[in-house]
Amino acid sequence: MKMDQIKQLRQYGFVIRQLVSREIKRKYTRSYLGILWSVLNPLMSMVVISMVFSTMFQRVENYSIYFLTGNIIWQLFTGATTSAMAALVDNKSLLIKVKLPKVIFPLSRVGAAFVNFLYTFVAYLLMLMVFRIKPSVMMLLFPIAALFLLLFCIGISYLLSIVYVFFGDIKHLYSVLLTLWMYCSAIFYPIDSTPEMVQRLIAENPIYNYISCVRKCMIYQTMPSAGELGRMVFWGIGCYAVGRFVFIRLQNQIMQEL
Amino acid sequence: MTGKIRKGKDIMEYKAEEKERIPIISIENVSMKFRIAEEKVASLKEFFIRTLEGKNTYREFYALKEVSFSVYPGEVIGIIGTNGSGKSTLLKLVAGALFPSEGKILVDQKKVQLLTLGTGFDLELTGRENVYLNGAIIGYTKEYIDEKYEEIVKFAELEGFMEEKVKNFSSGMVSRLGFAIATARETPEILILDEVLSVGDMFFRKKSEQRIQQMIHSGSTVLIVSHSADVIVKNCSRAVWIEKGVVRQIGEPKEVCKAYKNMGE
Repeated sequence: MKMDQIKQLRQYGFVIRQLVSREIKRKYTRSYLGILWSVLNPLMSMVVISMVFSTMFQRVENYSIYFLTGNIIWQLFTGATTSAMAALVDNKSLLIKVKLPKVIFPLSRVGAAFVNFLYTFVAYLLMLMVFRIKPSVMMLLFPIAALFLLLFCIGISYLLSIVYVFFGDIKHLYSVLLTLWMYCSAIFYPIDSTPEMVQRLIAENPIYNYISCVRKCMIYQTMPSAGELGRMVFWGIGCYAVGRFVFIRLQNQIMQEL
Repeated sequence: MTGKIRKGKDIMEYKAEEKERIPIISIENVSMKFRIAEEKVASLKEFFIRTLEGKNTYREFYALKEVSFSVYPGEVIGIIGTNGSGKSTLLKLVAGALFPSEGKILVDQKKVQLLTLGTGFDLELTGRENVYLNGAIIGYTKEYIDEKYEEIVKFAELEGFMEEKVKNFSSGMVSRLGFAIATARETPEILILDEVLSVGDMFFRKKSEQRIQQMIHSGSTVLIVSHSADVIVKNCSRAVWIEKGVVRQIGEPKEVCKAYKNMGE
Protein backbone atom coordinates (compact mmCIF):
# COMPACT_ATOMS: atom_id res chain seq x y z
CA MET A 1 0.00 0.00 0.00
CA LYS A 2 2.76 2.41 0.98
CA MET A 3 4.69 1.63 -2.18
CA ASP A 4 1.58 2.13 -4.25
CA GLN A 5 1.02 5.54 -2.77
CA ILE A 6 4.55 6.63 -3.41
CA LYS A 7 4.31 5.42 -6.97
CA GLN A 8 1.07 7.30 -7.41
CA LEU A 9 2.50 10.51 -5.99
CA ARG A 10 5.47 10.19 -8.34
CA GLN A 11 3.07 9.79 -11.22
CA TYR A 12 1.14 12.92 -10.19
CA GLY A 13 4.43 14.77 -9.97
CA PHE A 14 5.18 13.70 -13.52
CA VAL A 15 1.76 14.87 -14.71
CA ILE A 16 2.25 18.25 -13.04
CA ARG A 17 5.69 18.65 -14.60
CA GLN A 18 4.24 17.87 -18.01
CA LEU A 19 1.39 20.34 -17.57
CA VAL A 20 3.73 23.06 -16.30
CA SER A 21 6.07 22.61 -19.23
CA ARG A 22 3.09 22.77 -21.56
CA GLU A 23 1.98 26.11 -20.11
CA ILE A 24 5.44 27.54 -20.48
CA LYS A 25 6.03 26.21 -23.98
CA ARG A 26 2.66 27.51 -25.08
CA LYS A 27 3.45 30.96 -23.84
CA TYR A 28 6.50 31.32 -26.01
CA THR A 29 5.39 29.18 -28.90
CA ARG A 30 5.50 31.92 -31.53
CA SER A 31 8.69 33.68 -30.55
CA TYR A 32 12.26 33.01 -31.66
CA LEU A 33 13.89 33.71 -28.34
CA GLY A 34 11.39 31.54 -26.55
CA ILE A 35 12.04 30.97 -22.90
CA LEU A 36 14.73 33.66 -22.90
CA TRP A 37 11.89 36.18 -22.84
CA SER A 38 11.15 35.10 -19.31
CA VAL A 39 14.39 36.77 -18.32
CA LEU A 40 14.54 39.49 -20.99
CA ASN A 41 11.05 40.80 -20.49
CA PRO A 42 11.36 41.59 -16.78
CA LEU A 43 14.89 42.85 -17.32
CA MET A 44 13.79 45.30 -19.98
CA SER A 45 10.78 46.54 -18.08
CA MET A 46 12.97 46.92 -15.02
CA VAL A 47 15.33 49.14 -16.98
CA VAL A 48 12.44 51.26 -18.24
CA ILE A 49 10.91 51.61 -14.81
CA SER A 50 14.23 52.53 -13.25
CA MET A 51 14.71 55.25 -15.82
CA VAL A 52 11.22 56.66 -15.39
CA PHE A 53 10.82 56.51 -11.64
CA SER A 54 14.24 57.04 -10.17
CA THR A 55 13.92 60.80 -10.50
CA MET A 56 10.36 60.91 -9.23
CA PHE A 57 10.90 59.39 -5.83
CA GLN A 58 14.40 60.51 -5.02
CA ARG A 59 13.53 60.52 -1.36
CA VAL A 60 13.62 56.73 -1.34
CA GLU A 61 17.06 55.28 -1.46
CA ASN A 62 17.47 52.90 -4.41
CA TYR A 63 13.94 53.48 -5.56
CA SER A 64 14.16 51.18 -8.61
CA ILE A 65 15.13 48.21 -6.55
CA TYR A 66 12.50 49.11 -4.00
CA PHE A 67 9.89 49.03 -6.71
CA LEU A 68 11.25 45.93 -8.49
CA THR A 69 11.25 43.86 -5.34
CA GLY A 70 7.62 44.62 -4.69
CA ASN A 71 6.76 44.14 -8.30
CA ILE A 72 8.18 40.63 -8.76
CA ILE A 73 6.30 39.45 -5.68
CA TRP A 74 3.14 41.07 -6.94
CA GLN A 75 3.56 39.60 -10.41
CA LEU A 76 3.97 36.12 -9.01
CA PHE A 77 0.82 36.47 -6.99
CA THR A 78 -1.37 37.88 -9.75
CA GLY A 79 0.13 35.62 -12.44
CA ALA A 80 -0.46 32.50 -10.40
CA THR A 81 -3.93 33.29 -9.15
CA THR A 82 -5.43 34.68 -12.35
CA SER A 83 -4.21 31.80 -14.49
CA ALA A 84 -5.14 29.16 -11.91
CA MET A 85 -8.62 30.60 -11.64
CA ALA A 86 -9.60 29.19 -15.01
CA ALA A 87 -7.70 25.92 -14.56
CA LEU A 88 -10.73 23.73 -13.92
CA VAL A 89 -12.92 25.30 -16.57
CA ASP A 90 -10.21 25.20 -19.25
CA ASN A 91 -9.47 21.55 -18.59
CA LYS A 92 -13.10 20.51 -18.49
CA SER A 93 -12.76 17.85 -21.16
CA LEU A 94 -9.81 16.31 -19.34
CA LEU A 95 -11.53 16.39 -15.99
CA ILE A 96 -14.46 14.28 -17.06
CA LYS A 97 -12.34 11.74 -18.85
CA VAL A 98 -9.41 11.09 -16.61
CA LYS A 99 -9.09 9.86 -13.08
CA LEU A 100 -6.67 12.47 -11.84
CA PRO A 101 -6.95 14.42 -8.61
CA LYS A 102 -8.49 17.72 -9.55
CA VAL A 103 -6.00 19.74 -7.51
CA ILE A 104 -3.44 18.94 -10.19
CA PHE A 105 -4.89 21.51 -12.56
CA PRO A 106 -4.75 24.65 -10.43
CA LEU A 107 -1.44 23.40 -8.99
CA SER A 108 0.18 23.14 -12.39
CA ARG A 109 -0.93 26.68 -13.31
CA VAL A 110 0.61 28.01 -10.10
CA GLY A 111 3.67 25.92 -10.88
CA ALA A 112 4.01 27.54 -14.29
CA ALA A 113 3.74 30.99 -12.73
CA PHE A 114 6.39 30.03 -10.20
CA VAL A 115 8.80 28.83 -12.87
CA ASN A 116 8.29 32.15 -14.60
CA PHE A 117 9.00 33.86 -11.31
CA LEU A 118 12.31 32.01 -11.05
CA TYR A 119 13.36 33.35 -14.44
CA THR A 120 12.30 36.82 -13.40
CA PHE A 121 14.36 36.34 -10.30
CA VAL A 122 17.45 35.85 -12.44
CA ALA A 123 16.77 39.23 -14.01
CA TYR A 124 16.20 40.66 -10.56
CA LEU A 125 19.56 39.36 -9.35
CA LEU A 126 21.22 41.05 -12.32
CA MET A 127 19.55 44.32 -11.36
CA LEU A 128 20.76 43.90 -7.77
CA MET A 129 24.28 43.68 -9.12
CA VAL A 130 23.80 46.72 -11.32
CA PHE A 131 22.68 48.70 -8.30
CA ARG A 132 25.58 47.35 -6.28
CA ILE A 133 23.60 45.71 -3.56
CA LYS A 134 26.10 43.53 -1.72
CA PRO A 135 25.22 39.90 -1.12
CA SER A 136 24.50 39.07 2.49
CA VAL A 137 23.50 36.15 4.67
CA MET A 138 20.07 37.71 5.10
CA MET A 139 19.32 36.88 1.50
CA LEU A 140 19.05 33.25 2.52
CA LEU A 141 15.69 34.20 4.00
CA PHE A 142 14.37 34.80 0.51
CA PRO A 143 13.63 31.16 -0.41
CA ILE A 144 11.72 30.74 2.85
CA ALA A 145 9.61 33.80 2.16
CA ALA A 146 9.05 32.57 -1.39
CA LEU A 147 7.90 29.19 -0.12
CA PHE A 148 5.23 30.69 2.13
CA LEU A 149 4.20 33.10 -0.59
CA LEU A 150 3.78 30.10 -2.87
CA LEU A 151 1.55 28.38 -0.32
CA PHE A 152 -0.48 31.56 -0.05
CA CYS A 153 -0.89 31.66 -3.85
CA ILE A 154 -1.93 28.00 -3.96
CA GLY A 155 -4.59 28.55 -1.31
CA ILE A 156 -6.08 31.54 -3.11
CA SER A 157 -5.89 29.68 -6.43
CA TYR A 158 -7.83 26.72 -5.05
CA LEU A 159 -10.58 29.02 -3.86
CA LEU A 160 -10.74 31.03 -7.06
CA SER A 161 -10.74 28.02 -9.37
CA ILE A 162 -13.72 26.55 -7.52
CA VAL A 163 -15.63 29.82 -7.42
CA TYR A 164 -14.96 30.39 -11.12
CA VAL A 165 -16.78 27.16 -11.98
CA PHE A 166 -19.95 28.48 -10.38
CA PHE A 167 -19.67 32.15 -11.30
CA GLY A 168 -17.77 33.25 -14.35
CA ASP A 169 -18.17 36.82 -13.15
CA ILE A 170 -15.55 36.40 -10.51
CA LYS A 171 -12.95 36.93 -13.20
CA HIS A 172 -13.96 40.55 -13.66
CA LEU A 173 -14.59 41.16 -10.01
CA TYR A 174 -11.19 39.75 -9.18
CA SER A 175 -9.37 41.98 -11.62
CA VAL A 176 -10.98 45.02 -10.00
CA LEU A 177 -10.11 43.68 -6.58
CA LEU A 178 -6.52 43.17 -7.73
CA THR A 179 -6.22 46.79 -8.75
CA LEU A 180 -7.40 47.89 -5.34
CA TRP A 181 -5.15 45.35 -3.68
CA MET A 182 -2.16 46.55 -5.66
CA TYR A 183 -2.63 50.16 -4.48
CA CYS A 184 -2.82 48.87 -0.92
CA SER A 185 0.43 46.95 -1.18
CA ALA A 186 2.90 49.81 -1.22
CA ILE A 187 4.60 48.53 -4.33
CA PHE A 188 5.59 51.84 -5.90
CA TYR A 189 5.36 54.27 -2.99
CA PRO A 190 7.13 54.24 0.35
CA ILE A 191 4.78 53.20 3.09
CA ASP A 192 5.72 56.05 5.42
CA SER A 193 4.41 58.58 2.92
CA THR A 194 0.87 57.58 3.88
CA PRO A 195 -1.18 58.61 6.94
CA GLU A 196 -0.65 56.53 10.03
CA MET A 197 -4.04 54.87 9.86
CA VAL A 198 -3.49 53.72 6.31
CA GLN A 199 -0.09 52.44 7.30
CA ARG A 200 -1.60 50.23 9.93
CA LEU A 201 -4.10 48.94 7.41
CA ILE A 202 -1.42 48.17 4.85
CA ALA A 203 0.61 46.33 7.44
CA GLU A 204 -2.25 43.85 7.76
CA ASN A 205 -2.19 43.15 4.02
CA PRO A 206 -0.63 39.69 3.54
CA ILE A 207 0.92 40.60 0.21
CA TYR A 208 2.51 43.70 1.65
CA ASN A 209 3.82 41.57 4.46
CA TYR A 210 5.63 39.30 1.97
CA ILE A 211 6.92 42.28 0.03
CA SER A 212 8.17 43.93 3.17
CA CYS A 213 9.93 40.78 4.36
CA VAL A 214 11.65 40.32 1.03
CA ARG A 215 12.67 43.99 0.87
CA LYS A 216 14.21 43.76 4.29
CA CYS A 217 16.23 40.67 3.58
CA MET A 218 17.25 41.58 0.03
CA ILE A 219 17.77 45.36 0.06
CA TYR A 220 18.23 46.49 3.64
CA GLN A 221 19.68 43.20 4.82
CA THR A 222 18.01 43.32 8.15
CA MET A 223 15.97 40.67 9.88
CA PRO A 224 12.20 41.14 9.45
CA SER A 225 10.45 41.61 12.78
CA ALA A 226 9.05 38.60 14.60
CA GLY A 227 5.53 39.81 13.87
CA GLU A 228 6.24 39.96 10.17
CA LEU A 229 7.78 36.52 10.12
CA GLY A 230 4.86 35.14 12.10
CA ARG A 231 2.33 36.63 9.70
CA MET A 232 4.34 35.33 6.77
CA VAL A 233 4.00 31.77 8.07
CA PHE A 234 0.42 32.27 9.23
CA TRP A 235 -0.88 33.55 5.91
CA GLY A 236 0.95 30.92 3.92
CA ILE A 237 -0.15 27.90 5.90
CA GLY A 238 -3.57 29.27 6.85
CA CYS A 239 -4.53 30.19 3.33
CA TYR A 240 -3.29 26.91 1.95
CA ALA A 241 -5.25 24.94 4.54
CA VAL A 242 -8.49 26.84 3.95
CA GLY A 243 -8.14 26.62 0.18
CA ARG A 244 -7.45 22.93 0.25
CA PHE A 245 -10.31 22.24 2.65
CA VAL A 246 -12.83 24.08 0.48
CA PHE A 247 -11.50 22.51 -2.70
CA ILE A 248 -11.72 18.96 -1.39
CA ARG A 249 -15.19 19.62 0.00
CA LEU A 250 -16.59 21.00 -3.23
CA GLN A 251 -14.69 19.11 -5.91
CA ASN A 252 -17.40 16.57 -6.56
CA GLN A 253 -20.06 19.21 -6.92
CA ILE A 254 -18.20 20.97 -9.67
CA MET A 255 -18.50 17.99 -12.00
CA GLN A 256 -22.20 18.68 -12.38
CA GLU A 257 -21.63 22.35 -13.09
CA LEU A 258 -18.97 21.93 -15.71
CA MET B 1 -13.73 -13.22 -39.13
CA THR B 2 -12.34 -14.59 -35.90
CA GLY B 3 -14.68 -12.34 -34.00
CA LYS B 4 -17.72 -13.96 -35.55
CA ILE B 5 -16.75 -17.52 -34.78
CA ARG B 6 -15.83 -16.71 -31.23
CA LYS B 7 -19.04 -14.87 -30.65
CA GLY B 8 -21.38 -17.64 -31.85
CA LYS B 9 -19.80 -20.17 -29.59
CA ASP B 10 -19.59 -17.95 -26.58
CA ILE B 11 -23.20 -16.91 -26.47
CA MET B 12 -24.33 -20.41 -25.66
CA GLU B 13 -21.70 -20.74 -23.00
CA TYR B 14 -22.68 -17.49 -21.39
CA LYS B 15 -26.29 -18.51 -21.06
CA ALA B 16 -25.30 -21.69 -19.32
CA GLU B 17 -22.72 -20.16 -17.06
CA GLU B 18 -24.27 -16.84 -16.28
CA LYS B 19 -25.88 -17.95 -13.07
CA GLU B 20 -22.74 -19.29 -11.49
CA ARG B 21 -20.33 -16.57 -12.40
CA ILE B 22 -19.57 -13.52 -10.35
CA PRO B 23 -19.96 -10.33 -12.36
CA ILE B 24 -16.85 -8.20 -12.75
CA ILE B 25 -18.92 -5.07 -13.24
CA SER B 26 -22.33 -4.81 -11.72
CA ILE B 27 -24.53 -1.83 -12.46
CA GLU B 28 -27.56 -1.58 -10.20
CA ASN B 29 -30.37 0.88 -10.80
CA VAL B 30 -28.01 3.62 -11.80
CA SER B 31 -29.40 7.04 -12.59
CA MET B 32 -27.40 10.08 -13.51
CA LYS B 33 -29.08 13.40 -13.05
CA PHE B 34 -27.81 16.66 -14.41
CA ARG B 35 -29.18 20.00 -13.42
CA ILE B 36 -29.72 22.35 -16.27
CA ALA B 37 -30.66 25.92 -15.57
CA GLU B 38 -33.85 26.74 -17.40
CA GLU B 39 -32.38 30.04 -18.47
CA LYS B 40 -28.64 30.26 -18.36
CA VAL B 41 -27.63 32.68 -15.66
CA ALA B 42 -24.66 34.49 -17.05
CA SER B 43 -23.65 36.67 -14.17
CA LEU B 44 -23.57 37.02 -10.45
CA LYS B 45 -25.81 40.05 -10.54
CA GLU B 46 -28.39 38.22 -12.57
CA PHE B 47 -28.17 35.26 -10.23
CA PHE B 48 -28.94 37.39 -7.20
CA ILE B 49 -31.82 39.12 -8.90
CA ARG B 50 -33.29 35.82 -9.95
CA THR B 51 -32.83 34.22 -6.58
CA LEU B 52 -34.58 37.16 -4.97
CA GLU B 53 -37.42 36.88 -7.42
CA GLY B 54 -37.52 33.13 -6.88
CA LYS B 55 -37.01 32.59 -10.56
CA ASN B 56 -33.94 30.45 -10.44
CA THR B 57 -35.50 27.30 -11.77
CA TYR B 58 -33.66 24.23 -12.85
CA ARG B 59 -34.77 21.50 -15.15
CA GLU B 60 -33.69 18.06 -14.03
CA PHE B 61 -32.36 16.02 -16.82
CA TYR B 62 -31.69 12.32 -16.59
CA ALA B 63 -28.75 11.25 -18.73
CA LEU B 64 -29.33 7.72 -17.43
CA LYS B 65 -32.37 6.35 -15.74
CA GLU B 66 -32.41 3.17 -13.69
CA VAL B 67 -29.90 1.31 -15.74
CA SER B 68 -29.02 -2.18 -14.53
CA PHE B 69 -26.91 -4.90 -16.01
CA SER B 70 -23.94 -7.04 -15.16
CA VAL B 71 -20.78 -7.81 -17.04
CA TYR B 72 -18.99 -11.10 -16.55
CA PRO B 73 -15.26 -11.74 -16.88
CA GLY B 74 -14.14 -12.26 -20.45
CA GLU B 75 -17.19 -10.73 -22.05
CA VAL B 76 -17.03 -8.15 -24.81
CA ILE B 77 -19.97 -5.87 -24.32
CA GLY B 78 -21.03 -3.44 -26.99
CA ILE B 79 -23.01 -0.39 -25.98
CA ILE B 80 -24.96 1.15 -28.80
CA GLY B 81 -27.25 4.14 -29.06
CA THR B 82 -27.72 7.42 -30.86
CA ASN B 83 -25.76 10.54 -30.01
CA GLY B 84 -26.65 11.87 -26.59
CA SER B 85 -28.32 8.67 -25.46
CA GLY B 86 -26.15 8.38 -22.38
CA LYS B 87 -23.54 5.89 -23.61
CA SER B 88 -20.53 7.96 -22.75
CA THR B 89 -22.00 8.98 -19.41
CA LEU B 90 -22.29 5.30 -18.58
CA LEU B 91 -18.66 4.70 -19.46
CA LYS B 92 -17.50 7.64 -17.39
CA LEU B 93 -19.44 6.25 -14.45
CA VAL B 94 -17.83 2.84 -14.82
CA ALA B 95 -14.41 4.43 -15.19
CA GLY B 96 -14.96 6.45 -12.04
CA ALA B 97 -14.73 9.89 -13.59
CA LEU B 98 -18.32 10.63 -12.55
CA PHE B 99 -20.36 9.50 -9.57
CA PRO B 100 -23.92 8.28 -10.08
CA SER B 101 -26.68 10.37 -8.51
CA GLU B 102 -28.62 7.23 -7.64
CA GLY B 103 -27.83 3.53 -7.64
CA LYS B 104 -24.62 1.63 -7.33
CA ILE B 105 -21.80 0.54 -9.55
CA LEU B 106 -19.70 -2.29 -8.27
CA VAL B 107 -16.37 -2.51 -10.01
CA ASP B 108 -12.74 -2.53 -9.01
CA GLN B 109 -11.70 0.91 -10.28
CA LYS B 110 -8.06 -0.02 -10.28
CA LYS B 111 -8.59 -2.60 -13.00
CA VAL B 112 -10.46 -0.24 -15.28
CA GLN B 113 -8.77 1.59 -18.12
CA LEU B 114 -10.74 4.04 -20.18
CA LEU B 115 -9.27 4.34 -23.62
CA THR B 116 -10.05 7.60 -25.35
CA LEU B 117 -8.14 9.24 -28.12
CA GLY B 118 -6.02 12.31 -27.76
CA THR B 119 -7.09 13.23 -24.25
CA GLY B 120 -5.38 16.49 -23.58
CA PHE B 121 -3.53 16.84 -26.86
CA ASP B 122 -2.10 20.30 -27.20
CA LEU B 123 -1.92 21.47 -30.79
CA GLU B 124 0.80 24.01 -30.08
CA LEU B 125 3.22 21.34 -28.89
CA THR B 126 5.25 18.95 -31.00
CA GLY B 127 4.36 15.33 -31.54
CA ARG B 128 7.03 14.19 -29.12
CA GLU B 129 5.91 16.58 -26.39
CA ASN B 130 2.36 15.41 -26.84
CA VAL B 131 3.34 11.78 -26.40
CA TYR B 132 4.72 12.67 -22.99
CA LEU B 133 1.88 14.99 -22.01
CA ASN B 134 -0.84 12.62 -23.16
CA GLY B 135 0.94 9.61 -21.73
CA ALA B 136 1.33 11.28 -18.33
CA ILE B 137 -2.33 12.18 -18.24
CA ILE B 138 -3.54 8.68 -19.00
CA GLY B 139 -1.24 7.25 -16.37
CA TYR B 140 2.09 6.20 -17.90
CA THR B 141 5.27 6.84 -15.96
CA LYS B 142 8.14 8.68 -17.58
CA GLU B 143 10.25 5.54 -17.74
CA TYR B 144 7.44 3.66 -19.42
CA ILE B 145 7.03 6.31 -22.12
CA ASP B 146 10.80 6.47 -22.65
CA GLU B 147 10.78 2.75 -23.21
CA LYS B 148 7.77 2.64 -25.49
CA TYR B 149 8.42 5.84 -27.40
CA GLU B 150 9.92 4.28 -30.53
CA GLU B 151 7.19 1.70 -30.64
CA ILE B 152 4.45 4.32 -30.41
CA VAL B 153 5.96 6.38 -33.21
CA LYS B 154 6.37 3.32 -35.36
CA PHE B 155 2.84 2.13 -34.84
CA ALA B 156 1.44 5.57 -35.64
CA GLU B 157 3.65 5.66 -38.77
CA LEU B 158 4.87 9.12 -37.85
CA GLU B 159 8.63 8.66 -38.12
CA GLY B 160 10.19 11.98 -39.00
CA PHE B 161 7.16 14.03 -37.99
CA MET B 162 7.56 13.94 -34.25
CA GLU B 163 9.36 17.27 -33.95
CA GLU B 164 6.59 19.01 -35.89
CA LYS B 165 3.83 20.82 -34.07
CA VAL B 166 0.68 18.78 -33.87
CA LYS B 167 -1.36 21.63 -35.33
CA ASN B 168 0.40 20.92 -38.63
CA PHE B 169 -0.69 17.27 -38.54
CA SER B 170 -3.63 16.04 -40.56
CA SER B 171 -6.57 14.87 -38.48
CA GLY B 172 -5.78 11.29 -39.43
CA MET B 173 -2.23 11.67 -38.13
CA VAL B 174 -3.50 13.07 -34.85
CA SER B 175 -5.88 10.20 -34.26
CA ARG B 176 -3.24 7.66 -35.27
CA LEU B 177 -0.90 9.10 -32.69
CA GLY B 178 -3.68 9.12 -30.13
CA PHE B 179 -4.49 5.51 -30.82
CA ALA B 180 -0.86 4.44 -30.63
CA ILE B 181 -0.34 6.14 -27.27
CA ALA B 182 -3.58 4.86 -25.80
CA THR B 183 -2.91 1.25 -26.76
CA ALA B 184 0.77 1.16 -25.83
CA ARG B 185 -0.03 -0.10 -22.36
CA GLU B 186 -0.25 -3.63 -21.07
CA THR B 187 -3.76 -4.88 -21.50
CA PRO B 188 -5.75 -4.09 -18.36
CA GLU B 189 -8.33 -6.40 -16.86
CA ILE B 190 -11.22 -4.20 -17.82
CA LEU B 191 -10.83 -2.18 -20.98
CA ILE B 192 -13.26 0.53 -21.99
CA LEU B 193 -13.15 1.76 -25.56
CA ASP B 194 -14.92 5.01 -26.34
CA GLU B 195 -15.34 5.30 -30.13
CA VAL B 196 -11.77 4.36 -30.90
CA LEU B 197 -12.43 1.80 -33.59
CA SER B 198 -12.80 3.98 -36.63
CA VAL B 199 -9.55 5.82 -36.85
CA GLY B 200 -7.40 6.77 -39.79
CA ASP B 201 -7.45 5.39 -43.30
CA MET B 202 -8.45 1.90 -44.40
CA PHE B 203 -5.01 0.42 -43.77
CA PHE B 204 -4.56 1.91 -40.38
CA ARG B 205 -8.05 0.86 -39.40
CA LYS B 206 -7.18 -2.72 -40.16
CA LYS B 207 -4.07 -2.45 -38.05
CA SER B 208 -5.90 -0.83 -35.16
CA GLU B 209 -8.68 -3.38 -35.23
CA GLN B 210 -6.07 -6.07 -35.06
CA ARG B 211 -4.56 -4.51 -32.00
CA ILE B 212 -7.94 -4.21 -30.33
CA GLN B 213 -8.65 -7.83 -31.20
CA GLN B 214 -5.37 -8.76 -29.57
CA MET B 215 -6.39 -6.95 -26.44
CA ILE B 216 -9.78 -8.62 -26.47
CA HIS B 217 -8.27 -12.06 -26.92
CA SER B 218 -5.75 -11.61 -24.15
CA GLY B 219 -8.61 -12.25 -21.80
CA SER B 220 -9.67 -8.85 -20.60
CA THR B 221 -13.25 -7.82 -20.22
CA VAL B 222 -14.11 -5.16 -22.75
CA LEU B 223 -16.76 -2.47 -23.00
CA ILE B 224 -17.06 -0.89 -26.41
CA VAL B 225 -19.12 2.20 -27.07
CA SER B 226 -20.08 2.97 -30.60
CA HIS B 227 -22.93 4.27 -32.67
CA SER B 228 -21.87 2.02 -35.49
CA ALA B 229 -23.74 -1.27 -35.50
CA ASP B 230 -21.05 -2.94 -37.62
CA VAL B 231 -18.37 -2.43 -35.01
CA ILE B 232 -20.61 -3.96 -32.36
CA VAL B 233 -21.66 -6.98 -34.39
CA LYS B 234 -18.10 -7.66 -35.44
CA ASN B 235 -16.48 -7.53 -32.03
CA CYS B 236 -18.94 -8.13 -29.24
CA SER B 237 -20.42 -11.10 -27.48
CA ARG B 238 -23.33 -9.17 -26.04
CA ALA B 239 -24.89 -5.83 -26.81
CA VAL B 240 -26.70 -3.22 -24.77
CA TRP B 241 -28.85 -0.69 -26.51
CA ILE B 242 -29.42 2.54 -24.63
CA GLU B 243 -31.85 5.17 -25.83
CA LYS B 244 -32.53 8.45 -24.02
CA GLY B 245 -30.91 7.10 -20.89
CA VAL B 246 -33.01 3.96 -20.69
CA VAL B 247 -31.89 0.43 -21.54
CA ARG B 248 -34.02 -0.67 -24.48
CA GLN B 249 -32.60 -4.10 -25.11
CA ILE B 250 -29.83 -6.42 -23.97
CA GLY B 251 -28.82 -9.55 -25.80
CA GLU B 252 -27.28 -11.06 -28.87
CA PRO B 253 -25.49 -8.31 -30.82
CA LYS B 254 -27.13 -9.15 -34.14
CA GLU B 255 -30.64 -8.93 -32.77
CA VAL B 256 -29.99 -5.81 -30.74
CA CYS B 257 -28.38 -4.08 -33.70
CA LYS B 258 -31.25 -5.08 -35.93
CA ALA B 259 -33.74 -3.56 -33.52
CA TYR B 260 -31.57 -0.48 -33.30
CA LYS B 261 -31.46 -0.12 -37.06
CA ASN B 262 -35.20 -0.64 -37.33
CA MET B 263 -35.82 2.26 -35.03
CA GLY B 264 -34.19 4.58 -37.52
CA GLU B 265 -36.46 3.49 -40.32
